[in-house]
Amino acid sequence: MRNNFLEIVRKVDILFIGCAFLLLAPVLTVQRTNDFIIFCIFVLAYNLLYGFMGRLSFGHMLYFGVGAYASALTAEHLSANPFAAIAVALVAGAGTGILLGPITVRTTGACFALINLAFNQVGYFLALIALAKWTGGEDGMAAFFDNIWIFDLGNRYVVFGFSLLCLLLVVYIMKRLTSSSFGILLRTIKENETRAKFLGYNTFRYKLAAFVISTTLSAFAGALSIINYTYVTPSFIDTTRNVEVIFASLIGGSASIYGSLVGGISYMIISNYLPKYIQRWEMFLGVALLLLVFRFRSGLWGYISETVEKYALKGARE
Amino acid sequence: MREKVILETQNLSKQFGGFVAVEKVNYKLFEGETAGIIGPNGAGKSTFFNLLTGLFPPTEGKILFFNQDITSTQAEHRVELGLVRTFQLVSVFDSLSVIDNLILAVTRFSPIFTNKFRFFFRDAHIKNITERAKEALNRVGLADKSHILTSELSYGDKRKLEIAMALALNPKVLLLDEPFAGLSDVEIKELLNLLHKVKKSLTLIIIEHKISRIVDLVTRLSVMHEGRIIAEGNPKDVLCNETVRRVYWGGESCSVDGITDSSDRRRRP
Repeated sequence: MRNNFLEIVRKVDILFIGCAFLLLAPVLTVQRTNDFIIFCIFVLAYNLLYGFMGRLSFGHMLYFGVGAYASALTAEHLSANPFAAIAVALVAGAGTGILLGPITVRTTGACFALINLAFNQVGYFLALIALAKWTGGEDGMAAFFDNIWIFDLGNRYVVFGFSLLCLLLVVYIMKRLTSSSFGILLRTIKENETRAKFLGYNTFRYKLAAFVISTTLSAFAGALSIINYTYVTPSFIDTTRNVEVIFASLIGGSASIYGSLVGGISYMIISNYLPKYIQRWEMFLGVALLLLVFRFRSGLWGYISETVEKYALKGARE
Repeated sequence: MREKVILETQNLSKQFGGFVAVEKVNYKLFEGETAGIIGPNGAGKSTFFNLLTGLFPPTEGKILFFNQDITSTQAEHRVELGLVRTFQLVSVFDSLSVIDNLILAVTRFSPIFTNKFRFFFRDAHIKNITERAKEALNRVGLADKSHILTSELSYGDKRKLEIAMALALNPKVLLLDEPFAGLSDVEIKELLNLLHKVKKSLTLIIIEHKISRIVDLVTRLSVMHEGRIIAEGNPKDVLCNETVRRVYWGGESCSVDGITDSSDRRRRP
């Protein structure tokens, strides 16, 4: 009975997620909810690598930043069409993934984390100094987009609706990717890559595919945040901001789509509202991390779904 | 009646630093046979398997599979050619459900693997695949446990699952690395029954530490000692070979019953 209910919820989850964000909007303001949505896309992209494939990256802001700068540069030099900017950002994200992936996905553990960090540092330096002529260096650059058809990007409700649709699309793609054979393969790579090879899979190829999908979706989030903010600064590619997405993954529970969303929202709520009450709110994050590591290993969502399952089992027995 | 040679090694050697684990092994595997490799711990049996299946490259020598040189072929490609193995320490995916372990194996040689769109975007649990996965589970007697988490299986059941996964890959040659290690007597009996059935349809190589378990199963027995194959042939003859008796059992009786216990004695090279 209860399990059936969960099955149904799972089938209409996209609708459910859409409604949840629509309800959040009046509570948190549209502008802020939009931030949340974009951040959630980034967390989802990140978790394909971290949660499902078990590769923790310290340099994912690079791919986010590549998308952000690519769309801003497109707006300035190529076309003010926001969809063109997004398309260029996706291509740039995928290109960066294809370029760096063959190097990064050969590694695991600390090496994977640090090699991504190294590339991120390079990207940060390029945006801040080496390419400052184009990127505006420390000051960043503004991006102006045309209004296309009903997409009046000056209207925050339109931007909100568009971002939400994008999030739902990403959730849908992620659902398909993670429930497919590819999704199972990623989990086996996380657990024991050698064994996956002995099932006849060229794991390198699939790790690269996952990496490129992740960088592309990260760039997508970057492009959307430019449409939201209409400017880009080096903080969009700053290595230190990787902490945000790692925290969000840990809070929500990484090997799950719902967990990524819960984590994304929870982190954004903490980082947006806690500073109002506690000035050095990062300390709270540290404590939260300790709690997560010791008490809730599978994150908030993991904890919730385990509890629900336990009760469902109990109910089924009675 | 010598059949076709399907797997052959020529002067195969592997050195780890100064230690020679496998030394100039010339081994032939004939189609349809069930070959056993025995030897004391540290004799190089597992290393030999790892070389055959491509876990690491040999220091020297060649491996031929159906007359094709596969010495530097990647492990996953050898699986594709039909060379499938299990591991000494049972190796299945604990975080997946039992059926998901098999789905991946079944999918590998199904049209879904070649259709990348389906591989990436279609739900893995389509009817045709799950049915074949269940069939494979049925074969090893795990059908009723298909939906539990693999980490909850007993060691013996995990071993069965691993063998089901290997069989689902449609191997031409199946290499079993100490499949009986860590199993209870009942489980060993079950596994032996399964292997007696399986050996009719494919070529098997079994590494074993305790010879008494496989002496009735195998058609040919090789004895490894300090990285070399020191004797080879009909199991009963090999057991009576003088060199074998000296290095392996300290030269007592050559009857199978007599060596059951003393074969437990561990030697290091």
